[in-house]
Amino acid sequence: MIQLYNVTKSYLRGQNALNDITLKIEKGEFVYLTGPSGAGKSTFLKLLYCAERPSRGQILINGRNITRFGVQRIPLLRRDFGIVFQDFKLLNRRTVYENVAFPLEVTGHKRFEISKKVYQTLKQVGLQHRLNDHPLQLSGGEQQRVAVARALVVEPLILLADEPTGNLDPDVTLEIMEMFKDANARGTTVVMATHDRQLIRQFPRRILELDAGCIQMDDLPC
Amino acid sequence: MLGRPGYHIRRALRNMRQSPFLSLASIATVALSLALLAFFALAVLNVQQLMASWGDEMAIVAYLDDPPEEKVLQQWLADIRAYAEVQDITYVSQPEALERFRERLGPEAGLLDGLDAQILPASIEIHLREELRQRTTLETVAGQLQQDARFEDLTYGREWLEKFEAFLLLLRISGAALGSFLMFAALVIVANTIKLTLYVRQDELEAMSLVGATSLFIKLPYLFEGTLQGLIGGVLALGASLLVFRLLLMDVLAKLLMITGIDTIHFLPPAWQVGLVLGGGLIGLLGSLFALRKFARIGPA
Repeated sequence: MIQLYNVTKSYLRGQNALNDITLKIEKGEFVYLTGPSGAGKSTFLKLLYCAERPSRGQILINGRNITRFGVQRIPLLRRDFGIVFQDFKLLNRRTVYENVAFPLEVTGHKRFEISKKVYQTLKQVGLQHRLNDHPLQLSGGEQQRVAVARALVVEPLILLADEPTGNLDPDVTLEIMEMFKDANARGTTVVMATHDRQLIRQFPRRILELDAGCIQMDDLPC
Repeated sequence: MLGRPGYHIRRALRNMRQSPFLSLASIATVALSLALLAFFALAVLNVQQLMASWGDEMAIVAYLDDPPEEKVLQQWLADIRAYAEVQDITYVSQPEALERFRERLGPEAGLLDGLDAQILPASIEIHLREELRQRTTLETVAGQLQQDARFEDLTYGREWLEKFEAFLLLLRISGAALGSFLMFAALVIVANTIKLTLYVRQDELEAMSLVGATSLFIKLPYLFEGTLQGLIGGVLALGASLLVFRLLLMDVLAKLLMITGIDTIHFLPPAWQVGLVLGGGLIGLLGSLFALRKFARIGPA
């Protein structure tokens, strides 16, 4: 599903954010990307959804080499992804319903399909009663659940999450993890960047530990 | 994506509803810029019209010291009519010349009482075809006529014509230059105002690109929005300039131009009115396009 060959990303400062990374993530895997701040976790995710280009090396997603994708092909690639951020990146001027419906509008779904899917997904994350509220009327946990719903509504092949529980309390963190587990159980490949060791112990999965842009550990749970 | 214009227009309208003040700022900017342009165009058009009406009076006048008999005169007139450049001619006899002079003097006409019509020469006024009423053609025709001994005493206001043409050229060049400058200034101001609205919505643009929206899908509603705001601005500019024209400008311009003999002041012709509104739409569209170049970026920086 995801293959990286000798991928290096360096910025103008000269230091490599990622250094000669080679790895493979199979379809349906759940992978933690962990490591200290500045280890290269976010850069790794950005390379996958083409917000950054590798300085060297090749990246294959679902058999397609995305390394030199032109801007016309990037949107089509991103439609295979669901992306969740620590700061939610919701549209605050739009309602919960509109936020979740948006990726489906982009892909040209019919209105009745959109309303059906949005309602089902909001029910999954337990927010079907808040669809007419705006994000700023919700708690942080609820906002993140909306962000997860927006990522899952398109039934993505790959779910990328960049510190999705970083701002949330432990109870909400567990709720979000359950949603990721459910999505993974339905066949979605999950790559989640986190530095929460306790969370990793609680939900053990494959761990890719990064430090200073290098893979320090690639470990499968017993 | 283009197959869903209704969707993009709905989004454009929703964007405008969600940011009413920014929308109003864009509309007001377009309206003010275009109203300024409209006032300027009004002044230029009316002055040009005045100039054109002066141009209509361009004629070669052949003075006849000793008017010939009727039969010979008709032959002379026929000879002049034979010129391809000539549209029509008017023979002004000595009594008619005196009558005209009397009319021009108005209340002072009494000064001419007791004078004989013989004091003024008879003349033939030669008007060229409309498309040929310019200094060079007048010069050519006058030159040819002067070869004929019968029409030696000719006048066509050569010096005045040179000044008139130079002034007309200056008016056209300055009109085009100032008009282009105003349009460009309007475009820059509108582009910056739209840039501000996009700056506020940067999070939205980013979120759109992250869920797989194409560049065109992201841009279209903003292009519709810019165009719509421009069109509304154009309509407002037209309305405002019509109002100001009716309430204020018509009187002021009329008083100014009355001195020069013109009695009707005109508003912008219909084609210009449509052009003003469409120009607003175009400014809005181009302004959005320039602003979006920076903000609607999909791929890596």
